[in-house]
Amino acid sequence: MRCGKTLAGVFAVIPFGLLVAQPQHPATVDFDNDIRPIFVAHCAKCHMGDQKQGGLSLETGAAVLKGGESGPAAIPGNADKSVLLRRILGLDAQPRMPMGFGPLSEHDTSQIREWIAQGAKAKSAGKRIHWAYVPPVRPKLPKVSQPAWVHNSIDAFVLSRLDREHLHPSPPADRTTLIRRVTLDLTGLPPSTSEVRAFLADNSSNAYDKVVDRLLASPHFGEKMALPWLDAARYADSNGFQQDGDTFQYVWRDWVVRAFNANMPFDQFTIQQLAGDLLPTQGLSRSEIQDRQIATAFNRNHMLNGEGGAIPEEQRNVGLFDRVDTTSTTWLGLTMTCARCHDHKYDPLTQKDYYSLLAFFNNVPETGAPTDTFGSYYLAKPWVMVGTDAQMDELQKFEASVAAAKSKDEKAAAEKKLNDAKALLPKVMVMSDAQPRSAHIYSRGNYEAPLSPVSPSTPDSLPKMKPEWPKNRLGLAKWIMSPENPLTARVQVNRFWQALFGHGLVKSPENFGVQCETPVYPDLLDWLAVEFRDSGWNVKHLLKLIVTSSVYRQSSVLDRKMAVIDPSNRFLSREGRFRMPSPILRDVALTTSGLIDLKMGGKPVYPYQPKAIWDGLNITDERDFSYPQSSGSDLYRRSLYTFWRRTVGPGDMFDASSRQVCTVRMPQTSTPLHALTMLNDVVWVEAGRGLAQRVMKASASSSQRLKSAFELVCARTPNSQELKVLERMLSRSLSSFRADPSAATAYLRQGELHQDPKLNGVELAAYGTVCQAIYNLDEAMTHE
Amino acid sequence: MNPFFERDIRLTRRQFFGKAASGVGMLALGSLLSQEGFAADLQHLGQKGAHGLPGLPHFPPKAKRVVVLWQGGAPSQVDLFDHKPGLTAHRLEELPASLRAGTRLSTMTSSQGKYPILPAIKPFKQYGKSGMWMSEMLPHIGGIADDICLVRSMNTDAVNHAPGVTFFLTGSQIPGRPSMGAWAAYGLGSMTDELPAFVVMTSADEKKTCGQLFFDYYWGSGFIPSMYQGVQFRSEGDPVLYLTNPPGMSSDLRRGVLKDIEELDQQRFAQYGDPEIETRISQYELAFKMQTSVPELTDISKEPESVLSMYGPDVKKKGTYAHNCLLARRLLERGVRFVQLMHSGWDQHGNLDTQLALQCRDTDQPSAALVQDLKQRGLLDDTVVLWCGEFGRTVFAQGDVSKPNAHGRDHFGACYSLWVAGGGFKPGTVHGETDDFSYKIVKDPVGVHDMQATILRQLGIDHERLTYRYQGRDFRLTDVSGQVVKGIVSDF
Repeated sequence: MRCGKTLAGVFAVIPFGLLVAQPQHPATVDFDNDIRPIFVAHCAKCHMGDQKQGGLSLETGAAVLKGGESGPAAIPGNADKSVLLRRILGLDAQPRMPMGFGPLSEHDTSQIREWIAQGAKAKSAGKRIHWAYVPPVRPKLPKVSQPAWVHNSIDAFVLSRLDREHLHPSPPADRTTLIRRVTLDLTGLPPSTSEVRAFLADNSSNAYDKVVDRLLASPHFGEKMALPWLDAARYADSNGFQQDGDTFQYVWRDWVVRAFNANMPFDQFTIQQLAGDLLPTQGLSRSEIQDRQIATAFNRNHMLNGEGGAIPEEQRNVGLFDRVDTTSTTWLGLTMTCARCHDHKYDPLTQKDYYSLLAFFNNVPETGAPTDTFGSYYLAKPWVMVGTDAQMDELQKFEASVAAAKSKDEKAAAEKKLNDAKALLPKVMVMSDAQPRSAHIYSRGNYEAPLSPVSPSTPDSLPKMKPEWPKNRLGLAKWIMSPENPLTARVQVNRFWQALFGHGLVKSPENFGVQCETPVYPDLLDWLAVEFRDSGWNVKHLLKLIVTSSVYRQSSVLDRKMAVIDPSNRFLSREGRFRMPSPILRDVALTTSGLIDLKMGGKPVYPYQPKAIWDGLNITDERDFSYPQSSGSDLYRRSLYTFWRRTVGPGDMFDASSRQVCTVRMPQTSTPLHALTMLNDVVWVEAGRGLAQRVMKASASSSQRLKSAFELVCARTPNSQELKVLERMLSRSLSSFRADPSAATAYLRQGELHQDPKLNGVELAAYGTVCQAIYNLDEAMTHE
Repeated sequence: MNPFFERDIRLTRRQFFGKAASGVGMLALGSLLSQEGFAADLQHLGQKGAHGLPGLPHFPPKAKRVVVLWQGGAPSQVDLFDHKPGLTAHRLEELPASLRAGTRLSTMTSSQGKYPILPAIKPFKQYGKSGMWMSEMLPHIGGIADDICLVRSMNTDAVNHAPGVTFFLTGSQIPGRPSMGAWAAYGLGSMTDELPAFVVMTSADEKKTCGQLFFDYYWGSGFIPSMYQGVQFRSEGDPVLYLTNPPGMSSDLRRGVLKDIEELDQQRFAQYGDPEIETRISQYELAFKMQTSVPELTDISKEPESVLSMYGPDVKKKGTYAHNCLLARRLLERGVRFVQLMHSGWDQHGNLDTQLALQCRDTDQPSAALVQDLKQRGLLDDTVVLWCGEFGRTVFAQGDVSKPNAHGRDHFGACYSLWVAGGGFKPGTVHGETDDFSYKIVKDPVGVHDMQATILRQLGIDHERLTYRYQGRDFRLTDVSGQVVKGIVSDF
């Protein structure tokens, strides 16, 4: 949009005559594919849908020919005389269209000119069907110039397009880069030096496959996969709003990690989260049933407003809206939100569709307010107590002894035991359909203005639910995962792709509707979607396919030609190069410094945060908002386990989702605030020191120490020029700390890590400074 | 600008890209930081000047800067601004039920049963040449009556704090939209390359009676890139998170280390050619500059006593509203586009008798001082000063009116008051009118989106044209409504 406007600004001063001499647009211009999207983007407000300003609709090619009050808008074959183009150019002393907005870009204008010149043909007289609403079929593999480059089908699609664009694939990434890339992508942890060396030394033809298999089997795979899923599920450890009570939803977080690690088929993963409570329980163990209930916490992870005076029914409806929006975005890539107040402007989604979808989530026995309190925990019903079989047995036993108590004292004692046991168990907010309610369309989204009633149903324009499916969340989940559903598989493979390449095949993972950018690789997207579905929704299979493709294994180096033809890598002529998410940056620092505690799951922990991080909340005396910093190994757990206060996220997790609403795409920005974090936060200062101790103990040679530190973080050994700079940095630091040894002492006092008494303080501070600088290298924080 | 950084960046860039991309080294904080992974925006990075969007401002702006003096908890218009002398005769009489019908109330009073009229607890008086009626509890704001435009006909859909604040500051009651300051930074960019474009500070009444929390979505960037979100300046610890070097790390050593990091990054850039590396180098340089510019900004020791005394006795105490007002002026004069002071203390449900006076004491003098201070520096003409809360309070009492300090007023959205000064708003005027009970608007209602549209308009922004496409829809601050309020700006 911005670029378009810039170009248009230039275009505006070109005399009209020159435009005729524009190079001819070689391809046939199609109304639906080329012209209509321009109208949708720039003219829809006044000339599409119900809007026919001046009697003109631009909805279809036929409507354009018919025109409005000024007669036909286009004269086939004669663009210069066509009102449409003349108004777009601002001729005939009439206001330039689109009125009140910047002029159309040169490209858009010439497309319209060309379309009229080619006869203003509209192939489809009526409405066309947007590609994403047509179920994917497995496309044929295209022919390519270098069959040897094709390692699997993914490569054929990409190479054939590169051939057409006269681009070449990049050479393969060197093996060090590759193992670092794939290890970070699949586990969120850096490879150890021995893993790198073993891979470099393995000459077998399946050496890389072995690495991939090892990573897919790692328990840390699930932790890495969970991160974006938690963002989509707006998972946090507190409710948000006033009070911001804590929650036990971390039990669900652990369920997600386990499910990914067990390679739970994605259809099961979906059905359990949307409707685990509605599945038949015959033949299931108690813990299996409990697990399915926990899964449904997905739709109870939304914010809860416990503010005094809040109208609970209003807040309940806010929660319902959130469930509709989150479910639609996460699984369908649909922008249902638009249809809350009116029929969707662009996509075939009506307001009735919105509330019919809402009806699925409307039967939860809830009030809208988190009124059940357990200390700092504030829960809204329904919730379940979660424990191991032994714990649950014990509860039953205590309950029985309460019932059997003969005296008042006996009863009191038994009750105390019971309550103490209950107090230890987490209580997870889950879904239930125990309170059927009727649902209504709300006038302009206002719950106080209900219109006609609706029953649970999926959007009319998409394939219908099968009659044998129940009309509840279970039926909805089955519909989402049915092979006829055109969106689910595409939306998922796109997000996996995004995690591995920095952007999706569809740039907007949150929107697959009419307004989304047409993907450069629609065939590849469809092939992957069908492959994913036909594999039995096998996540590890899909990921293995992608990471073993030649496309993924390319180098990420940007050469001059690419910088001109493919600056944003839409053609995939290289692997994506992008800064890693901040939770991973912290995990890398903790791992390479040897500080990390890889314990999995459980209650969230409270690693270092700046003084008074929750200050903004501390302005009430309703509850204590001082930060209860952990000590010992809990300071060094993976970022996934950091307590996430919904109102104030962790200070050092930059560019992270706020975990307030569903987020499936995180902007990656580069700001001085990030630099300040990694330069000054105790996390990275302490990690630098840990890394320094590690390499100092391993060797006495300064160059060897520097090389090892660099290698631990970047996986490769520094070249001689780089080593020279590292050495200069070391001597700079040494002389600074020698001049002021008390500064070294102060620097080493950051964090809880004990200083190795055998190491000289000044030297350790100097090496620590260099090691911390290594974490701040662009390369260290980048997915190469 | 640090010469070695600038030289090396230019050199490398020229070698690699010719003259195609320029200005990356000029990037400043907040609005102008590059978006990684969206190389299509590179062309945007090449834009010079204020680094806002091309084509903005849409028309010549009346104002360049905005400061929001947020009065969290909702000040009582009945007691402070909306002069209703006739109420005294009806003291403690039941508010007519016909009047109440159809008005949204919070659940704290919607089923209260009794709605006794409580007139303003202190007398009103006329201020300034304009003879503006305001409470005698606001002598300092009264002193700038001829500089402010008092709007008595504000109204909002919200009846609870968080949704109400979110609505005013982001245009939607549900969190997740970009805030007003983020929109301004996104559209207009920064006027300084040493400070963020959008800065937020918080304060609360001394005893924390109000209970209003400040959530980061009140200054968030929603779905537009996070570089546009407000940067919170804190009163405890580092003014900006992680601003200070770790203990023992001298500034000289840090500078040397940064130079070494830059050299290594340059080597990487020579090999990989990714322009993001250049951006990162410039961000590290700016981080270093901020380490000087922010402490300089927050050090008020050189402010003359005459200025300090204007802001009142709390001005030297960090974290107070008065201190923040002074810092706001220092930020604005250094080119910060949008300053948002979040003050909490006005939620007087049950302690109106005592707490209202305390809040007036905390905020009256500093608010007026900021306006005067900006004026005497010639900055008021192009700075919008907005003093407002999320809604108003009920004319009827909540709680036990027979006992002192056991009653107050509940939330009320159907009408309330705010004031605006500077930036082309009409000084010395009153806009809008409510009925005899300060319950319904009878003249010139102003909705939240209208006020937002008007503020953007003063910044040279057409609120319908500053949009961001997300989920296939062009979102804007004013959602689907909002009309510029012509009666409150000078040039209509």
